[in-house]
Amino acid sequence: MLERFGIRLVPRLAAPAYVVFLISLGAIIAAIIVTGFIFWAYGVNPFSAYAIIAERTLFNGRGFSEVVRKSVPLLLAGVGLVLAFRAQFWNIGAEGQILAGAVGASGVALFVPLPPPLAIPAMFLAGFIAGALWGFLPAILKIRLGVNEIITTLMMNYIALYIVRWLINGPWKGESVVGFSYSDLFDRAIWLPTIGTTRLHWPTLLLGLLLAAFIAFLINRMRLGFEVRMIGEGPAAARYAGVNFLTTTLILVSLAAGAAGLAGVGEVAGIHHRLVEPNSISLGFGYTAIIVALLARGSPLAAILTALFMGWVFASGDVMKVALRLPFQITGVINGLVLLFIICSEPLLRYRIERIGSRASAVESETGPA
Amino acid sequence: MEVDQVTYTVARALAFSTPLLWAALGEIFAERAGVVNLGVEGMMILGAVAGFIVAQTAGAPYLGLVLAATVGAAAALAHAFISITLRGNQYISGLALTIFGLGFSGLIGRSWVGKPLGTPMEFITVPGLSEIPLLGPALFTDQYLLTYVGLVTAALLWFILYYTRPGLALRTVGESPAAADATGTSVTLVRYLAVVFGGLMAGVAGGYLSIAYRPSWGEGMTNGMGWIALAIAIFSLWDPLRAVAASFFFGAFFFLSFLLQKVFPPELLTLLPYTFTIVALTVVALGKEGRAFGAPEALGLPYRRGER
Amino acid sequence: MRRWLVILLLFTGFAFAQDSLKVGFIYVGPIGDAGWTYAHDLGRLATMAALPSIETVIVESVAEADIEPFIDQLVADGVQVIFATSFGYGDGVLAAAARYPDIIFAHATGIQRAPNVMTYIADFYQVYYLNGLIAGALTESNELGYVAAFPIPEVKRHINAFALGAREVNPEAIVEVRWLFSWFDPAGAKEATEALIAEGADVFAFTEDTPTVIQTAAERGFPSYSHYASMYEFSPDTVVSGQIVNWEAIYIDFLQGVLDGTYTNENLSDLDYFWRLGEDSVSAGAAPGMVINPVYEDQLRAAVLDHPEFGEISVYDLVFARIEQMSMTEPAYEPFTGPLSDRKGNVVYEEGQVATIPELLGLQWAAANVVGPWPEEP
Repeated sequence: MLERFGIRLVPRLAAPAYVVFLISLGAIIAAIIVTGFIFWAYGVNPFSAYAIIAERTLFNGRGFSEVVRKSVPLLLAGVGLVLAFRAQFWNIGAEGQILAGAVGASGVALFVPLPPPLAIPAMFLAGFIAGALWGFLPAILKIRLGVNEIITTLMMNYIALYIVRWLINGPWKGESVVGFSYSDLFDRAIWLPTIGTTRLHWPTLLLGLLLAAFIAFLINRMRLGFEVRMIGEGPAAARYAGVNFLTTTLILVSLAAGAAGLAGVGEVAGIHHRLVEPNSISLGFGYTAIIVALLARGSPLAAILTALFMGWVFASGDVMKVALRLPFQITGVINGLVLLFIICSEPLLRYRIERIGSRASAVESETGPA
Repeated sequence: MEVDQVTYTVARALAFSTPLLWAALGEIFAERAGVVNLGVEGMMILGAVAGFIVAQTAGAPYLGLVLAATVGAAAALAHAFISITLRGNQYISGLALTIFGLGFSGLIGRSWVGKPLGTPMEFITVPGLSEIPLLGPALFTDQYLLTYVGLVTAALLWFILYYTRPGLALRTVGESPAAADATGTSVTLVRYLAVVFGGLMAGVAGGYLSIAYRPSWGEGMTNGMGWIALAIAIFSLWDPLRAVAASFFFGAFFFLSFLLQKVFPPELLTLLPYTFTIVALTVVALGKEGRAFGAPEALGLPYRRGER
Repeated sequence: MRRWLVILLLFTGFAFAQDSLKVGFIYVGPIGDAGWTYAHDLGRLATMAALPSIETVIVESVAEADIEPFIDQLVADGVQVIFATSFGYGDGVLAAAARYPDIIFAHATGIQRAPNVMTYIADFYQVYYLNGLIAGALTESNELGYVAAFPIPEVKRHINAFALGAREVNPEAIVEVRWLFSWFDPAGAKEATEALIAEGADVFAFTEDTPTVIQTAAERGFPSYSHYASMYEFSPDTVVSGQIVNWEAIYIDFLQGVLDGTYTNENLSDLDYFWRLGEDSVSAGAAPGMVINPVYEDQLRAAVLDHPEFGEISVYDLVFARIEQMSMTEPAYEPFTGPLSDRKGNVVYEEGQVATIPELLGLQWAAANVVGPWPEEP
């Protein structure tokens, strides 16, 4: 069909980085334009809408701190998912792993009397382990028995949610909350420090950046990184390359899930300072992290940018609610659209457009499905 | 438990399992053709809101249901285009559909919230059969037509899948698209039809919720049922008749989690359906070592002629 | 970019042009939840009608711990008074109140105050007691169903009040409770109601955010109650009465005080509205103005009992007599008056002893005729 226009699509092995970037940018711009039409349909001038959003999220100190604050859990969970997706492990369970991490940290904060310099690292460690355990079960079920990880990780989300609910309604319910469903406040000394009076708990942010760098290093340099890439090619390729499929996948998935657990630690220790309703601990960060990881297209460092972008989308949703008086459901619509545009742009990465006549690489073919 | 509580449990399991069954049957067909659709929840809720609005405005519940099915199918068409034609990532496309559906349904349903449906679907009590002791009250009293149609559909789909040529074509497309292609079956067409059919069924499931089961529209009223339906599709090993059993089982579980609160701690009962899904998948997998327990071989993989 | 900023300046310039009191409402759910948030918004609309000099801004579905950035934005928009309508907003409200000492905050169901933070609640327990009187008279099976969201003191207080009312007219009546562990779970509310029907219950009360219980009970013709706002139209033949909140009573009183200078950002530390029937912040009824659905009037008039206080009286008249007593500024009747024992037989209140407000706010015990699970029972 395309031949009529004198062009054809030619498959390519790997798109150069700048093409990936441009195409992703294109998808985002497309989503922003379509969102503009939604604004317009609601009687809001899209230009002034975006101007207000920009003013309140980018050119305002507190506003921008909120963008970064929301991107922190997205970064930690998203970097983990980059790793998991690379290993072809379709982890939908970051949400549950965030909650597990929050439970781990709260357990330490509420019941383990430690001096603050030890308590904060202990919270992060407990959260990492709890998150990792939450990812471990689906991972081993998949590798050993072939149980579909999408279903198991999803079910683990619900289980985590109900466990948190049970904890705050029962054994961990606070003394000072007049019977409402919350734990007590953590000791003020172990609240994560924030920048100024903002809610940006910088230790978690720093951890996210370090983790992104570490995982980038891991993928590019270390032996394990080679194994990740082999596993990504599929079990057969991995075995052929002499990679221990079982152990490596387990390590990768645990690391990925642990990263999401760290995000949960940051939320309870840096924002809520107590264990709260599961839907308050995570505002769907675990699901949005999937978008973050996909947008990053396998690059942990790119996840820093994409997490910031999705954090901005979150914060913009808040602005839309207040300043533009738009119905809050619009945020979900926009998230869905961004995601749809990203997938639709995927084929552009697998093909390049070529003018008919130049026969250079028309026979080159792909090695496997995306 | 007393006898009438048993019959009551069966009756409630049947009513609650109906939307799960419809959505799961649709997903089974899509997955049998090799396409995963994680957008069930989104298609259901779009069906629920569209069905409610039409049923309310037109005063015709069954017309609402038709629209619910249409909207579900239209949403699935988008998924089909992305996953089949563009060969995009099916998991993500489905997820996007769910996120979009939840948001969009809330948006268009805003002015319909908090109003009862004027003309909800009516209960059916099967004459004659409802007189049978025990079975009558359990199975044939105060159910909705969709419950019975769902059961008949399941049987029909089972027959189509295993005993007809289109069924064979569908399974071949899911197991080995290249082989299907070689015998002259259009992989693209079969997959499109299966995915759109899946959306249609999910739409009906959503419509059941807003037109019959709880005749009103509420933001996010599917409340995770689409995900349970997905689990049922896998849990039943992609077999329509087993899906009947699996849905029924989930329905019974859900009802018992309230009926038995006096006996078991309610906090733990809420966990059971999800824990049980994982355990059951594990047990099934243990029984079928080696091959990924009967999943369509090409599940989740896009097909392009000449590849593999 | 510069042109955008110009547009922006114009936009904000208009926003600041008025000289009225700007009031912000932060809601925990969508207005369309037909429950808690919907009722608050009805209160807001009534307040606007009563006080023309105020202007209101609303934000829906704000997650509990996420309130601070929204307060920031409202303050940036020039909002001077902020109502935060959920208990879970407490931490954020207090933190923001410290940062914005000039802004006045009001925290619904809250417990902690500050010079610029007051707390308020409109409590239903008296009305649930009235519902209980009606339920005790209507039940044939002597089993009343109660679908409850979370086992927190507020809900437990309401269940107990309902049970006490039922027992007053029908010593045989028991209240069967089922918990949802969610404020919003339509399918759960439906199946919980069905489970109660299977247990034999035939009158239904509830505390959760959907009209599901009403719709489900109506399928079998069983009576039920409106909750928060009128749910009468969900089943005009079976919604017998209910509890309706009039948040505007509190909103108007407080904002009037702010407007005339009685309440400032410096004197709210001791301001705690705990308003009930007496202050008109709540009322009994299937819909506003319909205390008892006429469909049930004859049945309730025919239900006559020999009452220790009123002598021979019909339940219909008893309900109105109690409303009159409890509507006084100093209520002449208090449902939680001793002798009262919990269902384990422990004496909670001695003869003549009356529950205090702090005791009611922290209530954990279960009334003697309550059946079913009761997490954290003392």
